Amino acid sequence: MLIEVLDLAVSTAWEARDDDAGESVLHPESMRWDEDPAIAEFARLTGEVTFARGEGLPGRVWESGEAMWIDDVTTDENFPRREAAKAAGLRSAVCMPVRSERGVIAVLEGFMIGRREIDHDLVPVLGMMGVGLGQLIERHRAERSEDDVERRHRAILSSSRDGVITMNASGEVVEFNPAAEKIFGFTSLEAVGNPVADLIIPPARREAHRSGLKRYLETGEAKLLGRRTEIDAVDSRGRQFPVELTITEIDTPGEPMFTAFLRDITDRLRSERELRESRRRLVEAADAGRRQIERDLHDGAQNQLVSVAMSLGGARTALESDPAEAAEMLDEVSADLEQAITELRELARGIHPAILTEGGLTPALQGLARRSTIPVRLGDVPDGRFPPRVEAAAYFIATEALTNAARHAAGADRVEIEMAVTDGALIVEVSDDGPGGANVEGGGLRGLADRVAALGGTFEVDSPPGSGTRLRAAMPCE
Amino acid sequence: MTQRLLIVDDHEGFRRTARRTLARQGWTVVGEARDGATGLECADRLSPEVVLLDIGLPDMSGLDVAEQLHRTHPDIAIVMISTQERGDYDEIASDRGARGFLSKMELSGPALEELLAQ
Repeated sequence: MLIEVLDLAVSTAWEARDDDAGESVLHPESMRWDEDPAIAEFARLTGEVTFARGEGLPGRVWESGEAMWIDDVTTDENFPRREAAKAAGLRSAVCMPVRSERGVIAVLEGFMIGRREIDHDLVPVLGMMGVGLGQLIERHRAERSEDDVERRHRAILSSSRDGVITMNASGEVVEFNPAAEKIFGFTSLEAVGNPVADLIIPPARREAHRSGLKRYLETGEAKLLGRRTEIDAVDSRGRQFPVELTITEIDTPGEPMFTAFLRDITDRLRSERELRESRRRLVEAADAGRRQIERDLHDGAQNQLVSVAMSLGGARTALESDPAEAAEMLDEVSADLEQAITELRELARGIHPAILTEGGLTPALQGLARRSTIPVRLGDVPDGRFPPRVEAAAYFIATEALTNAARHAAGADRVEIEMAVTDGALIVEVSDDGPGGANVEGGGLRGLADRVAALGGTFEVDSPPGSGTRLRAAMPCE
Repeated sequence: MTQRLLIVDDHEGFRRTARRTLARQGWTVVGEARDGATGLECADRLSPEVVLLDIGLPDMSGLDVAEQLHRTHPDIAIVMISTQERGDYDEIASDRGARGFLSKMELSGPALEELLAQ
């Protein structure tokens, strides 16, 4: 409008921004000019300059905050574009600040062809227009900024892995993000407007939720607000499951709003429970192992040696009176000692075979295969040594498989042991051709699963009735 | 002195050696049992005067057998035996109705007679 009223040949909007040196200067932000080569040249020059506070026409207006009218810029001492203006036939200029609460936020400048007397009535009007324009710009900026915040807010809600549910003071859902949709099985459309209590809170806790909300609104006393807690929730199918919950009150004008961040922790709790149980079983297995060793020593070698001692005493007594009986008793001593040695050897091997420590898996498994009552085909054992815990686990997997094949698998004629190293893990696979149906939860197999899990590996038992049993473990070797 | 003796122990080698040793020293071994249930049944059937009873039996604790035996046959002298040392079991054995405890390493006719004479 101003352009038409004053017939401005060139008009420029200047805005303050930092220059390369970090100084705040006016930059030409947008321009308009008449189609004339000389005026276009002035416009080109204007597009390339900047002004510091107090410098040139825009700089002066920026500094003073007052509109200006110069009737002849070609004679103005503080007008650096003087020569270019003269060449373009531009003589008079008007310049007005655009003001807001933050001060001068922009400067508008216009040039007229030929000399025009200062319009003293118009200059203060220009100042007022600048204030109105400034408010308009600030409002527009604020709206744009709110739009940006809203967009960012939406993006965060959409990409959040946590369910985010916002509730008003009446306990109704006002926001239900995609993660909440996934966790609870309601669409946002279904959820918004409905009471939170009816949607995701188990029936038994709904009344407590309602009275808690009422109490908070009346007294400000909160039990759940602002702290993380674990609680049961319910989904659209009525499945009850544990969630981790944090509720915060949103600081907005008007009635209170609350946002709940929820995470389904069914899997986490299951993993923690399994870990606890696995640790407990490992401890129990270790205790049971010690008890078994004590029992084996007591029932076996210890009793054998007691018999030896008693027989030696008896033989000494009988030596003169009954040499034949003494000889018989010494024979028994010899047999008992041999038996004691065998039992101690077996016991030691069961605790941890020396050959495994000294020679590794190959000779240990070869020995195991040799002593087995069921024929064993031992495949290639990977070269080199593995960490002792991995070798021990591999050995005991083979031992357990052979023991089970001999004990349970009536009809197992053959056991095969295969080993390989794949992706940094030792793979142990032991299979038999017995009747299958092994008890995966039985002490031996459960203990092996725990042992392998403790090494960060995986353990599988495949034992369908009638189709043999296959144990497979993969254990990291690093 | 001849006394009728029952040996209750799951270790065959020990039973054999104990029987031979004690028989040579004047005892009459009337029977042997390898577990608690058989021991109780033999005590009913063979009426021994003394029962040598191992603490660790495969089917039940020897101390439980002692308690049961003492209740049904208070006249039978029960002597608990084990490869463990005497101090560990003396008190608990008498609490459960036994006359005493002998380590298997100490077992002999005279040691048995001495314990029973106390």
